[in-house]
Amino acid sequence: MIQSVDRAIRILLALQDERVLGVSEIATRLGLAKGTVHGLLQTLAAHSLVEQDPTSGKYMLGPALLVMGNVYLNSHDLRVRSLRWVTSLGEGTGLAVRLGVVVWPDVVVIHHVGPADVAVPVSEVGLVLPAHATALGKAVLAFHPERHQVISEPLPRLTGRTVTDPAVLQRELDDVAATGIAFEDQEAVVGESSVAGAIFDRSGQVVGAVALVVPAEDGGIAPALVAAVRDTARGISRELGAATWPGGN
Amino acid sequence: MSGTAVDVALDVEFFCDWMGRLARAIEESCDELTRLDAAIGDADHGINMVRGMGAAMDALSSVPPRDPGSVFRTAGNRLIAVVGGAAGPLYGSAFRACAEALGSAPVVSLSRLAKALRAGVNAIQRIGAAEPGDKTMVDAWLPAVAALESTGHEPVRKAAAAAEAAAREGMLATIPMRARKGRASYLGWRSEGHQDPGATSTRLLFAALVDATR
Repeated sequence: MIQSVDRAIRILLALQDERVLGVSEIATRLGLAKGTVHGLLQTLAAHSLVEQDPTSGKYMLGPALLVMGNVYLNSHDLRVRSLRWVTSLGEGTGLAVRLGVVVWPDVVVIHHVGPADVAVPVSEVGLVLPAHATALGKAVLAFHPERHQVISEPLPRLTGRTVTDPAVLQRELDDVAATGIAFEDQEAVVGESSVAGAIFDRSGQVVGAVALVVPAEDGGIAPALVAAVRDTARGISRELGAATWPGGN
Repeated sequence: MSGTAVDVALDVEFFCDWMGRLARAIEESCDELTRLDAAIGDADHGINMVRGMGAAMDALSSVPPRDPGSVFRTAGNRLIAVVGGAAGPLYGSAFRACAEALGSAPVVSLSRLAKALRAGVNAIQRIGAAEPGDKTMVDAWLPAVAALESTGHEPVRKAAAAAEAAAREGMLATIPMRARKGRASYLGWRSEGHQDPGATSTRLLFAALVDATR
């Protein structure tokens, strides 16, 4: 690993967490000398990756990152090929749909369609969800070749229903691996359940998942919704060149 | 305060009145609750709570409850049945736990009420796994219940006022917090600077209790 690149990235991540930080705050956080941090910030600022607030002198993320983020979204093969599938799943069910990729321990939402009954839905693109507590995350993790190494520590509890024991989660993921479908019953937030299907590419690798968000007051996830998610995940996988899908085609 | 401890006896009418006042307070604050929830949630807390308390009041008037516990049980069941999002399961389960704690007692003392509300907040914490400081309704519930518990044999009015003051303080304390539970936690630092809608409706619960003692 190139040390200075790693440090620059850790500065960006610190700013992502805290939004606004001064040079000494970053130095303390990263355990680096102020001079080192200052130099790194100057370089990042020269490329508009960070910018300095003229009044406080503190730093925040810069506009070049938005440009990069948009390029990421528009060139992401899974996302681009999923757009019409996600739209039609949303229209067919009236529920919110999320498309996500796993960056353990998180799921990053890369496309989102709001529920039909909300007039002005908030875009969830870029939203970070806990992988262990979401159907999206479980659908992907089930097919992660190193999931037993990745998920080994006790997991954060987010509601009373969150699975926090790695052994219990692994057993649940064994089931998901057999069907390609993962469920979540109010494990990330109270009142929200979800069903997700894993998505594979031409090499047979899992690349992401698509999920329907189902209000918990609906009293369970209807088989028709599970079937709709399965068809969507299988359809996107096929479009990405996947030859097979769990449970057969 | 008099030296003789006279414990109050809160009856079924008192509890019905309390719920009625809560329903009206929620209705009056609907826009505020929605506005708060729009900032850090999905903008449905006001409308959900109005619908839920409306349904609770309908149920209470169509089948008059026999005892204080039944008031909580009916309201809790209706909240769970009709309120979406997190509020229905959380308030509904809290009220049902209160009902459980009160049993079929025809009248309830202040200390028994405090015990019931403690069972209520325990249910909320069990379901939501929220700790103090997570920027949830727990931040208003816990200090309010603690205030009720510590009042002992004071006049009910004074005890309720202390609980409401504690709930209000807890509600205001959520403003600078970063949400660690619920949908608001997805926002990370963006949740800072916003008052928690659940803590706000919790304060209304205790404000309605004060009104009911007038």
